[in-house]
Amino acid sequence: MRRGTRRGICREAVLEAGAADPAWLRARREEAWEIYGAMPLPSTRSEEWRYTDVGRMLPFDELEPAEGGAASGPPGELRRAMEQDRESAGRIVDVDGRVVSVELDGAAAAQGVVLSSLREAARAGVHGVESLLATDAVPASDGKFPALNAALWTDGVFLYVPRGVRVDRTVRLSRWVSRPGTATFTRILVVAEEASRISFVDEILSPGFDSVTLANTAVEIFSRRGAQVQYVSLQRMGRGGFYLANQRTLAERDSTLDTLNVALGGSAGRVDLNARLLGPGANSDMLGLYFGDADQHFDFNTSQDHVAPNARSDLLYKGALDGAARGVFRGVIRVHEGAQGTDAYQTNRNLILSDRAVATSLPNLEIEADDVRCSHGATVGQLDAEALFYLMSRGLERERAERLVVLGFLGEVLSRLPLGGVADKVSRAIEAKLRHV
Amino acid sequence: MPSNEIIQGLGLDDYKFGFVTDSEPVFKTRPGLDADVVRQISARKDEPEWMLKRRLKALRIYDAKPMPQWGGDLSELEETLSRTYFYSKPQEQMERSWDDVPESIKLTFERLGIPEAERKILAGVGAQYDSEMVYHSLKEEWESKGVIFDSIEDGLKNHPELFRKHFGTVIPAADNKFAALNSAVWSGGSFVYIPPGVRLETPLQAYFRVNQERLGQFERTLIIAGEGSRAHYIEGCTAPVYSTDSFHSGVIEIVVNRDAHFRYTTIQNWSNNMYNLVTQRALVQQGAHMEWLDGNLGSKLTMKYPSCFLVGEGAHGEILSIAYAGDDQHQDTGGKVIHVAPNTTSSIVSKSISKGTGRASYRGLCKVYDGARNARSNVECDALLINETSRTDTFPYIEIDERSATVGHEATVSKVGDEQLFYLMSRGMDEAEAMALIVRGFIEPIAKELPLEYAVELNRLIELEMEGSVG
Repeated sequence: MRRGTRRGICREAVLEAGAADPAWLRARREEAWEIYGAMPLPSTRSEEWRYTDVGRMLPFDELEPAEGGAASGPPGELRRAMEQDRESAGRIVDVDGRVVSVELDGAAAAQGVVLSSLREAARAGVHGVESLLATDAVPASDGKFPALNAALWTDGVFLYVPRGVRVDRTVRLSRWVSRPGTATFTRILVVAEEASRISFVDEILSPGFDSVTLANTAVEIFSRRGAQVQYVSLQRMGRGGFYLANQRTLAERDSTLDTLNVALGGSAGRVDLNARLLGPGANSDMLGLYFGDADQHFDFNTSQDHVAPNARSDLLYKGALDGAARGVFRGVIRVHEGAQGTDAYQTNRNLILSDRAVATSLPNLEIEADDVRCSHGATVGQLDAEALFYLMSRGLERERAERLVVLGFLGEVLSRLPLGGVADKVSRAIEAKLRHV
Repeated sequence: MPSNEIIQGLGLDDYKFGFVTDSEPVFKTRPGLDADVVRQISARKDEPEWMLKRRLKALRIYDAKPMPQWGGDLSELEETLSRTYFYSKPQEQMERSWDDVPESIKLTFERLGIPEAERKILAGVGAQYDSEMVYHSLKEEWESKGVIFDSIEDGLKNHPELFRKHFGTVIPAADNKFAALNSAVWSGGSFVYIPPGVRLETPLQAYFRVNQERLGQFERTLIIAGEGSRAHYIEGCTAPVYSTDSFHSGVIEIVVNRDAHFRYTTIQNWSNNMYNLVTQRALVQQGAHMEWLDGNLGSKLTMKYPSCFLVGEGAHGEILSIAYAGDDQHQDTGGKVIHVAPNTTSSIVSKSISKGTGRASYRGLCKVYDGARNARSNVECDALLINETSRTDTFPYIEIDERSATVGHEATVSKVGDEQLFYLMSRGMDEAEAMALIVRGFIEPIAKELPLEYAVELNRLIELEMEGSVG
């Protein structure tokens, strides 16, 4: 960021972000900027933003679009987080909204897998980017923030897996945001062609900030017929961070498209996740885990759109809330007309650990087909007294016992994700957080 | 799945309460609503100045509030209201004996079976015809114990202090647009007072009939249940079938004092041209129990969420809701429980059936405020879909600010299973009988909470809908 030349979020910033872009992308940015300008900021009067007063929480006039990272490579904290990971098929590092390094396993590259900076892929005219970027998954017309992202994104990831290629090890994105008061706009585009397999982990970290710092992310994932895709988001920003993401997954016939959202860090997080089941036999497991303390505020807005018949989706979001933290879960299962034979489930469970914590749960169903199996459940409760008693009777101190019960409660989510390395990492992060409680 | 003819036959088409009575009102306001109409209503009722002022203030609140953008489709409501009669007085005065009620009106209630039910199972009956109560009576046994069961107008006249102390305190005019409308133009409804310790053994009933075309009915009911008292109040509603839409918007306020038990039952069976937008709320004090039993079978659109504000320690609230949405009907119903005091408990059970192009939506709120220690609440919703074109939604809101609270919500949606049908048919039932049995089994948990006569009526209604289902 050039000190003293504040621009803020404005049209000049859009032009600058697209300065080296091809014409189609510049046009797309400008169109997105117009949509952004025409849409009002979501207010708490709208159902979907009822519990997150984004206008109050996010000082738009003071945010400065981030302009890329330090040339000196990933900082120590990010490097330490990366060292905890098991081996990867590919690794991409992004600092302050710019990709600083890309590594891809030679075998995967030889099979035609593409892992690239999204900015470079767009500029180089890599096949698929123009047709799929901000079109079918998270277009600017989706809302105020998708429009802002489509106008201002600076970089991100393009991951392409050709037909029939099965990548067994995880591809990882490690993101670092360093500058207070900035707004970072990142996009992730994953395309898994027919019968391919890929898992992608997107981790974001930052130091603590004195002023609100925005990390905005648009995630677009396509799984073609019979493909198997996993997307994991680990949000571990420091205090002051505001994580705002729009994620959409498009699962075609007989494909599996699973997601996990983990929110541990930042001062506020809002994730809009829309899973679309587009073909018969499509399947989405949607997992979420949040653990808030102090004044952290996490808001998840999920939807399961059953467009095609005979698809399945199963959502489980679990949260523990301590201090004066607030957790909001709003989820909807929409069974569209004609989507007979749908199996759709949705569960949200909350654990309140302190007198000042607040949990809000809004699990909705909208069903326009009759031959369906749908259910949803939501609970808000306290630590299981029996489990505590049992652990304490085995000689554990109360505090330690409580930690174990919380870990067990949240652990159910991790146990459903067959990605060992991620589960270990998240468990460790939760444990570290519990020690502070 | 049942065959198409069977689906057709399941219709609520044979609405048996759709008849019109030929009766002339003694007075009605011109169509539409403004301050003059409000003044006329107040003057006709010979009201004290404070009430007129309240009405006019409520009208200003109504005008200022926007139409709700959620729930059902209200896009044509404004047009409907512009040609609605907001007040129509059917007879000069309310009667205490059926013999004094004009013949045509009496006949209407006889066809609805009200006088008969009164003789057999009720402690008292109020009957409203268009905008006014035409009949109100309470059995001597209860009157002598100090029970008051009167029209709301007589409540204001004869018990001004008690009335003014509670009126508009549970549901203020500014609560929502339609509560404001009702507060401006209310007419008819009951005033009920159960003295401390008095236990009514049989229910009180109010029956609401809209006869005239394009009428708006705005009954207002205020109920005060004294400490340790017990009572059950039943409300029924029907109307003729007209090609134009009618409007009904009631406000029901209930104060359930310490250790009292109160149950309020609604069997709403309006004709399918009725907008039914109702606010019902109970303030539940220490150790008291409130139960709402809410049956919504008729209307074009119902938006109605009976509420319990649990303000005293150990208060308990229960809402049992059943909705039946047939062709072109939208039942947007549910319940709200607000836990303010410690050790309060609540449960909401909702069952809905959507058939044809019907849509049943559950909408509810469970709110636990900080300090409502050990509050417990459970919400269960089941929805049954009969046809491909049927629709159901579930919109529960759960807001918990209290650590020691335990709250759960479960919902399921299913269709009538082929296996269930097959099993019953293999036991010798025809398809229609089997379908009726499955549907009855589905609503049984609610039907069994009704007094016997009403449970029988509800079952008969469901059977009627299933009748002729086969070819």
